[in-house]
Amino acid sequence: MKTYELGIKLNGQAVSAQVHAHETLLDVLRKKLGAKEVKNGCGKGDCGACTVMLDGTAVNACLTLALQANGREVTTVRGVGTEDQPHPIQESFVRHGAIQCGYCTPGMVVSAKALLDRIPNPDRGQIREGISGNLCRCTGYNKIIEAIENAASKAQS
Amino acid sequence: MMIETEYLAPRNIDQLFEGIRGRIGQVKFMAGCTNVLPSLRARAISPGLLVDLTGLEEMAHIRKVNRVISVGALTTMTALVSSEIIQKESPILASAARQLGNPLTRNRATIGGNLADASPAADMAPPLLALEATIHTAGPEGKGREIPLDRFFLGPNKTVLGEDEIITRITIPKPEDPWKGSHIKFGLRNAMAISVASVALMLEMKENVCRKARVALGSLSPTPIRAYLVEKELEDREITDEVLERCTVAVNQEISPISDIRGSADYRRQVAAVLLKRAIRQAHMGRK
Amino acid sequence: MSENPKNKTEGPDYQYIGKPMPRHDAWDKVFGRTKYADDFDMPGMLYGKVLRSAYPAAKILSIDTSEAEKMPGVEAVLTAKDVPNNETVTRFGQTHQVGGFEGLYRVLADKKVRYMGDAIALVAAETEEIAEEAVGLIKVGYEPLPGVFDPLEAIKPGAYQVGEAESNVICSYQVRKGDVEEGFARSDVIIENTYRVPFVEHAFMEPESGMAWVDDAGVITIRVSTQVIEHFRDVAEVLGVPHNKVRVIAPMVGGGFGSKEDISVESFIALLAWKTGKPVKMTWTREESIRSSSKRHPYVMRYKTGATKDGKLMAMEAELISDAGGHIYLSPWVLLYSTVDATGPYDISHVKVDASTVLTNNTFCSANRGFGSPQVCYAYECQMDELAKKLNLSPLEIRKKNYLHKGDALATGRVLDYAVETEQTAEKALAALGEPSKPSSSTEKIGRGLASGFMSYGRMTFLHDTSRSFVSVELDGSVTVKCGLQDIGGGQASSVASIAAEVLGVHMEEVKVFIGDTALTPIAGTTTATRMLYMSGNATVKAAEAVKNNLLPKAAEMLEADPKDLVFRDKKVFVKGAPTHGIPFDQVVKACAADGIQLYNVAQFNAPFRELMDFKTGQGQVFPDFTFGSHAAEVSVDTETGKVKVLKLVACYDVGQAINSLSAEGQLEGGALYGLGYGLIEEVILDKGITLTPSFSEYLIPTALDAPHVRTIMVESRDGAGPFGAKGIGEPSCNSIAPAVANAVTDAIGRRILDIPITPEKILRALGKL
Repeated sequence: MKTYELGIKLNGQAVSAQVHAHETLLDVLRKKLGAKEVKNGCGKGDCGACTVMLDGTAVNACLTLALQANGREVTTVRGVGTEDQPHPIQESFVRHGAIQCGYCTPGMVVSAKALLDRIPNPDRGQIREGISGNLCRCTGYNKIIEAIENAASKAQS
Repeated sequence: MMIETEYLAPRNIDQLFEGIRGRIGQVKFMAGCTNVLPSLRARAISPGLLVDLTGLEEMAHIRKVNRVISVGALTTMTALVSSEIIQKESPILASAARQLGNPLTRNRATIGGNLADASPAADMAPPLLALEATIHTAGPEGKGREIPLDRFFLGPNKTVLGEDEIITRITIPKPEDPWKGSHIKFGLRNAMAISVASVALMLEMKENVCRKARVALGSLSPTPIRAYLVEKELEDREITDEVLERCTVAVNQEISPISDIRGSADYRRQVAAVLLKRAIRQAHMGRK
Repeated sequence: MSENPKNKTEGPDYQYIGKPMPRHDAWDKVFGRTKYADDFDMPGMLYGKVLRSAYPAAKILSIDTSEAEKMPGVEAVLTAKDVPNNETVTRFGQTHQVGGFEGLYRVLADKKVRYMGDAIALVAAETEEIAEEAVGLIKVGYEPLPGVFDPLEAIKPGAYQVGEAESNVICSYQVRKGDVEEGFARSDVIIENTYRVPFVEHAFMEPESGMAWVDDAGVITIRVSTQVIEHFRDVAEVLGVPHNKVRVIAPMVGGGFGSKEDISVESFIALLAWKTGKPVKMTWTREESIRSSSKRHPYVMRYKTGATKDGKLMAMEAELISDAGGHIYLSPWVLLYSTVDATGPYDISHVKVDASTVLTNNTFCSANRGFGSPQVCYAYECQMDELAKKLNLSPLEIRKKNYLHKGDALATGRVLDYAVETEQTAEKALAALGEPSKPSSSTEKIGRGLASGFMSYGRMTFLHDTSRSFVSVELDGSVTVKCGLQDIGGGQASSVASIAAEVLGVHMEEVKVFIGDTALTPIAGTTTATRMLYMSGNATVKAAEAVKNNLLPKAAEMLEADPKDLVFRDKKVFVKGAPTHGIPFDQVVKACAADGIQLYNVAQFNAPFRELMDFKTGQGQVFPDFTFGSHAAEVSVDTETGKVKVLKLVACYDVGQAINSLSAEGQLEGGALYGLGYGLIEEVILDKGITLTPSFSEYLIPTALDAPHVRTIMVESRDGAGPFGAKGIGEPSCNSIAPAVANAVTDAIGRRILDIPITPEKILRALGKL
């Protein structure tokens, strides 16, 4: 089967892989580029667990053809912040108890970052809309919304 | 059969038709992938050649030239929502774009893709029908045509597009008063909801009388439709309660809703009537 | 945020217990470091796929795997004949197998299929795509059979036989207290209704997944997203190997809610790994999960409740029939919970409950958060409001006349010997709704509803439940806990860390918890039945206290004080009242180590062991304790479209003692949404055994735009059976929301809808508009 060379910048690092035409960005990130932090919840854009940024725009990795990311920047939760340099959103999530099983968290954090990039000081309605593509079954969303609100106000001050 | 697929990312229209020459029937066009990838994953389709349209940069535009608004087929929902031209000149289009899917899919889903997929619930179709949109296409050998949107849909997921034809842009005549319009989408959930019923309409009012009405309905028939009988009830009339009641009778003659997991046909009829009345009242009020 | 009114006296001054604490695993999760089952790869690993039945009911006439086997890249194709013990019988219990019910566990369908998810064959191949392709090449000859899809039909004699037994009735229970006929005779009003609740899906975000391999010592090792690592025994039986030759490891689980309590991928991947000699990974697609994994039992519940004109409940008669789907699994136990909980938290003089669970060819049903409690809670709380309306009493008034209190007994004879604070929770929940909202248009109606609920925590006491935990201190003062618990998001691991930290007076960051490994961590039991905090928490307290007691004599010697006067806190040991004159904890440890004092302890906690209840009268202790609470809701209903908006939702439950208040609130908030979905929007729709809602596009759960803000009020009675007086909250938290919302809708529109989910369409029908 024909393969193509895919070259992307993954969280700031240049990486490449041989991919098939039909492979999704999710497939390639998890199986070929070791980015296990990007989760598979449903495979078809219904849950948001696979949310990543493509050139700064939040998208479902499962609904993006891998080759469409060619030459572009992909940011996962590990590009938002790490142990060495946590992002205020991540600190806020932990402090507010916004994480239970944690499976939706990587995607949720990326969506939250995308929201705050667009709207630095969102109201609760805008926060709810901003994460409306990320399903969470554990938290009821309350603490996630509080965490994002808090991270936004911290960034403002 | 295992998926054996090739990928083509043309930079311009000529490259596109050169690339698909002789392979018609194996080709699947894709842009935002929000419909195509799920179909691929479900093995509902197994194309030999995936043609990525996103490189055709000309097709991602929003322009107003004289009295015509042109929206490139690759324009995403997010781009529509944030466009000043759309917000100002066709707010009902912005309303529909804002309610499609969720913020992630809105960043990818394109207006051309939504129309070409031709779901009976296609979110963009009702406002575009109410705005009397025209589809512009391109085919091989410089061929292309202009198709009024109300002649575009043939049935669920079926359009008049040929296998080697793509939508390049959609044009809308600039409405006289963009604010005498309304759009209501009704779903079972406030995000990521396939609509149970949707209404979009534009009114041209002269004082208290409705001169012209364009009413469109989604999820209530095998395709998105214009409700011509309803439009007739409104034309040259004042918007009174009696006229609204006649509209609800007319709408029931136009639609043929199905019963499915989201609702029974009876329920859809009921909601259609309610949404229609609300939409007409809203459009009549316009923007203060 | 929640309010935390102290119920009795001011709480003890804990370092950690009851405080809002970031969980010890939260950082790893927020950085994307935590690995879930599918995140592990092994060199040479194969991918496993399952062939599932094409029919909900059929005979299997033939299976031809030859084409699949020939496919390049395929390394194994297995059917029932390849399984050493394809059928085993579980007598329920994990560690203590109890007579009364035998559940047949069949790995692969053999001559007959019983629901559309029935697994018929297994494939292991080099890639997922090859495995999927190979599954498609397996040819099965079926003879479709009529099947039965309605439990009310399936219960009749002569109905289509779903399994091998004559009757589709798996089991029945009864509760008899007093004489209901006499009770009804003495009632001034009687309300009779039949309520129906649907199939629902757990909808955890992490699909079922696992990997199995045979390690270098011949141990069949399974890493799996599970709530029960003790399935190693079942897998050993299936393979015909000794129990100690199978090892199960549970990584962090991305949500379970009961679905991962039963075996999912374990036997499949163990067989494939054992056959091929290679690691085999299997991850289900979302559609496969929704179609094939367990669902919550639908119930048909006929309730007849009688009360005096003052509102005192005199009699309650309930007939419960649950749809077990195609296989038995945990249906008998779910039914038992429903039976014990069927009266609600009320004192009723005469009670008659008849409950049965019935096989059909629908998707099999098993554990789902609440385990039979939410279903009856819906029914009995709707009944209470109907009685209130008839008697012209408020929903709160009628409940207050009937609430059970500490020291009272349930209809099953069980005396409630721990705190029962239902009344307080109802008052607080209702009060927290504040001023009524005003409708914003003439077609909008506002309504308010209250519901109370109760549910056990801890497993059924005749199962003789036990749990073990190992606590040790390292020479540098850091602490290690090894506990075979499974963490499914409720903070199970973090709880034992904070308990160990509290008892030994170290910092949370210094406690490392190893969990979920049958070979290396003491068996703590299942993460089910809201038992984990209660059981492993108590075991950890025991183990940590034992370690502390080992350190005390040396510490006392070093401080020249009486051991009774010593406090372990803040990484120090000091005499009570003199925290500045303490010695560092690690110094005490080093001194003890030098003297050969044991620095670890593995403790076992036993829940009360009781006899099996009497299934004819329903009398018996059954559970260690219960959690009581209430929900209040305010809704607005669009009377033209039927759309419901939840304006306010308050959860008030007695959690005994929150171990981590952020976690406890999180359970209440998450549970509220879980119950809200149940009441308003969620339904797995099956048409003659075929799932019409196989993905999250059709099976709708609330998004952030659908979720109301949930206000949580935690009552802390400090009178529960768990560590520090805690009660379990994981499941009770989702109990009474659906009826609270249903009661609010009824208040808004003046009509009651008996079936959930209360969809907009049902509302319009109730209003006579369709």
